[in-house]
Amino acid sequence: MLQHFDPRIDHNRDYGTPASLSENLVTLEIDGVEICVPEGTSVMRAAALADINIPKLCATDNLEAFGSCRLCAVQIDGRRGLPASCTTPAEQGMKVWTQNDKLAKLRRNIMELYISDHPLDCLTCPANGDCELQDMAGAVGLREVRYGFDGENHLDAPKDTSNPYFTFDASKCIVCSRCVRACSEVQGTFALTIDGRGFDSKVAAGQDEDFLDSECVSCGACVQACPTATLMENSVIEMGQPEHSVVTTCAYCGVGCSFKAEMKGDKLVRMVPYKGGEANHGHSCVKGRFAFGYATHKDRIRTPMIRDSIDQPWKEVSWEEAIGFAARRLKEIQSEYGRESIGGITSSRCTNEETYLVQKLIRAAFGNNNTDTCARVCHSPTGYGLKTTLGESAGTQTFDSVMKADCVLVIGANPTDAHPVFGSLLRRRLREGASLIVADPRHIDLLDTPHLGDAMHLPLRPGTNVAMVNALAHVIVSEGLEDTDFIAQRCESDAYAKWRAFIADERHAPEAVEAITGVAAEQVRAAARAYAKAPNAAIYYGLGVTEHSQGSTMVMGIANLALATGNIGRDGVGVNPLRGQNNVQGSCDMGSFPHELPGYQHVSDAVARGRFEAAWGVQIDDEPGLRIPNMFDAAIAGHFRAMYVQGEDIAQSDPNTQHVEEALRSLDCLIVQDIFLNETAKFAHVLLPGSTFLEKNGTFTNAERRINRVRKVMPPIAGKEDWEVTVELSNALGYPMNYSHPSEIMDEIAMLTPSFAGVSYDKLDQYGSLQWPCNAENPVGMPIMHVESFPIGKAHFAVTEFVPTTERANRRFPLLLTTGRILSQYNVGAQTRRTENQVWHNEDILELHPHDAEERGINDGDWLGITSRAGQTVLRARISERMQPGVVYTTFHHPGSGANVITTDNSDWATNCPEYKVTAVQVEKVSQPSEWQKSFEDNNQRQQKFLREAAPAGEGR
Amino acid sequence: MFQTEQEHLIQMINQIALNNISAGDENDVADMVASHVKKFWSRRMKSQLFECVEQGGEELHPAARLAGERLQSETKPLPQ
Repeated sequence: MLQHFDPRIDHNRDYGTPASLSENLVTLEIDGVEICVPEGTSVMRAAALADINIPKLCATDNLEAFGSCRLCAVQIDGRRGLPASCTTPAEQGMKVWTQNDKLAKLRRNIMELYISDHPLDCLTCPANGDCELQDMAGAVGLREVRYGFDGENHLDAPKDTSNPYFTFDASKCIVCSRCVRACSEVQGTFALTIDGRGFDSKVAAGQDEDFLDSECVSCGACVQACPTATLMENSVIEMGQPEHSVVTTCAYCGVGCSFKAEMKGDKLVRMVPYKGGEANHGHSCVKGRFAFGYATHKDRIRTPMIRDSIDQPWKEVSWEEAIGFAARRLKEIQSEYGRESIGGITSSRCTNEETYLVQKLIRAAFGNNNTDTCARVCHSPTGYGLKTTLGESAGTQTFDSVMKADCVLVIGANPTDAHPVFGSLLRRRLREGASLIVADPRHIDLLDTPHLGDAMHLPLRPGTNVAMVNALAHVIVSEGLEDTDFIAQRCESDAYAKWRAFIADERHAPEAVEAITGVAAEQVRAAARAYAKAPNAAIYYGLGVTEHSQGSTMVMGIANLALATGNIGRDGVGVNPLRGQNNVQGSCDMGSFPHELPGYQHVSDAVARGRFEAAWGVQIDDEPGLRIPNMFDAAIAGHFRAMYVQGEDIAQSDPNTQHVEEALRSLDCLIVQDIFLNETAKFAHVLLPGSTFLEKNGTFTNAERRINRVRKVMPPIAGKEDWEVTVELSNALGYPMNYSHPSEIMDEIAMLTPSFAGVSYDKLDQYGSLQWPCNAENPVGMPIMHVESFPIGKAHFAVTEFVPTTERANRRFPLLLTTGRILSQYNVGAQTRRTENQVWHNEDILELHPHDAEERGINDGDWLGITSRAGQTVLRARISERMQPGVVYTTFHHPGSGANVITTDNSDWATNCPEYKVTAVQVEKVSQPSEWQKSFEDNNQRQQKFLREAAPAGEGR
Repeated sequence: MFQTEQEHLIQMINQIALNNISAGDENDVADMVASHVKKFWSRRMKSQLFECVEQGGEELHPAARLAGERLQSETKPLPQ
């Protein structure tokens, strides 16, 4: 699985079996051609590397060899019989023959049998032009089928069309098991099997159910693996085979998968995960592979629009007029209320180049530092915590590093739903025997990994992470499990001594905090020992760590654990934040935060600021600007009057919705740049059409610091890429920006940001991707960080006092609500709700434990009023053993759910990251929507009407 | 209905003080708070803190008040 940049590998070819990672080489001869390959390479792959293509059907290079079709038989000097080349390892001195009369006859016989039970509708088959069975029939020279077609066959097998994205046509199945193996080996779901024996063998989903009803997670690995038209994308069935493809990067989660966007002209036919993508190695999830229909959805905003008041219909205008209107309003507001009265929000969904430009616009053209990004509400504590302890605001590893981990500690993350492709890789490692510890209030799917060996679940109470991490550290210190050499050599001794004295205190012992966390002390001790004693132990964490009032403390606590056990600076270990959105890492790197210029250079650092001032030709404010929550407060207070929001939906995603709505209503001018009329845009005065990732060039940076190219495959629907809009706004404000391509923006970033100094589009094209820091010392990037030293020299143990949140369950609000995500929907759902992914999750549901349900007389499907001190909303109930008693859970993918009407404005002490994960609530049966939901629906109807009325006469939307 | 801007700032700085309570004595905690506020708060947020300190700062955690006083004395030579 671990692959490193190798220019000889063509990722568009199928080498039949996976690469071997052995460093020992063997030399063999195939058809007289000598080739040297790593030990463990199959004869089939060795041949393919020598450009000799052995016929094959059941083999493909992202699956282990299976040896069932026998089409790849070869002859080997000195060996008996005709072994399958896919299952035969290459050996030193071996002489292999891939073509002779005997082999040709065997292969023709095999193909003859296959074809005797296969429909001969090649010309009208959706796989026509991309069918391995057809190719092999050609390759072996099949000319007749002596058995005829009248015998027993499967030609009438029914089609399963239950999945909205692909069709299973069993009549075309050759039972090669590639789909079954892809589901098991690559995805790790084990939803498919071969049912029956001999001639009756058939592919079955779940307990012989429809695909949709089975455990299938619709990742599409089976579709990709299928050599025939048995499993086929519906888009290919409808549109036919694509004619060209472009490699680009997915715009969903922080895994940042590489895809081939397969096109017909400017129409996207299908997304196929790219084998050369270092983050995903040819795998994907249901969102990345299938949920791209939003890009051409009828709801896309296609024309710029303006209005004087949010109670007016929109007026469609030219780009020039919209930009001019926006610039004029911003200037008027600044002249009346001062330089600091306006600001903006960069997007973690947009490219690095776009994010960089928005913060540049704010710092240079607005003349203040009132820039922030939605990372504020997800991973800002990661930036703070890791910078304080390890010296750099980023995860330490590659995703592949997990394949060397012996113990994996997952805290507050749900990788199989929120980072599915990494979740699959992790599951692969767990099947290989790594042990698993999950610290999470809920029972997550990872704990149900098939063939999982050792797994521990620490079902802690929401809000008690820091008490838990301190208890784990206490065990490590008190039981002598520290890596003293690592600590002595790599960590600041004074800080360590102070931390050690703090953590050794008995008040942090698992027994002492049992009543706080709700987890038995012995379980905590066992987990700490497992983590500390493993040769390689790695921590993966998500928003269940950061989105708390002690989020930053917890991140530092995690870093302390890794430092104390020496689990930093090599493969298989590390501290790994699983980032939420596609470009959260990038938006932080690009200087979106109000206190930091690109590359995490503080605005008060005169030297760094001076470089930017010289390059930008302006003076930059040396004081930090406002963070998003501070912007809201300031808006309500009346001294913050205008905002430019690119590609974020703060009205849906930020906590305490009613507070956010009041802030947005208080603005004199809200400029929203987005692909849809999102919730925030309903409060906007200027609506600038955004472009999807398919419509622009740029780069995204994923959770492993990997900078990947985003490549334009179709023209922007409204004529402009997002960066072009920012450039025009800046020019209209009188601060000239002049770029003809995002590569020029990256060149400027590289010039001003030390950790990006070596990045350029040419180098990205050459290497595929680069993990920053990429500079003179690390010309092709740095996969694993802190190998020899930390950016701050020695690592810093931080004292992590557990300060409980003020948000506590009490008699009025006896339950704790925690929020999260689901596989099929993404973030605020603006994209995935406009796709067939709705089939899986068309409403947000409140999950609660049977005990809490019984106490309240609640049944599955009942409407529940959920009330917190911030507000009330109504959701349907799902009774679930996943939950612990006293804890309820929901998602926030649908705006009308109002999940954030209930969340409070409690936030992390260091970064103001909201405490989404802990809200004290009461739950009761109700019969109608909440007041907020009614007013939401009214406003929604009104704003949709304003949008419809904006359309020119005769052009209904 | 919601906290005022100043109420929120007081809550924020008190929270910073509480979360750094193990830094040492009140002086040390105040140092941590002051450096945090200096690094992350906007000019206007700082000036609102100073107003609060000038009004007695009774709602401020003692270390937070001390931090506010220190920052104010540092900032004074540069009036806007």
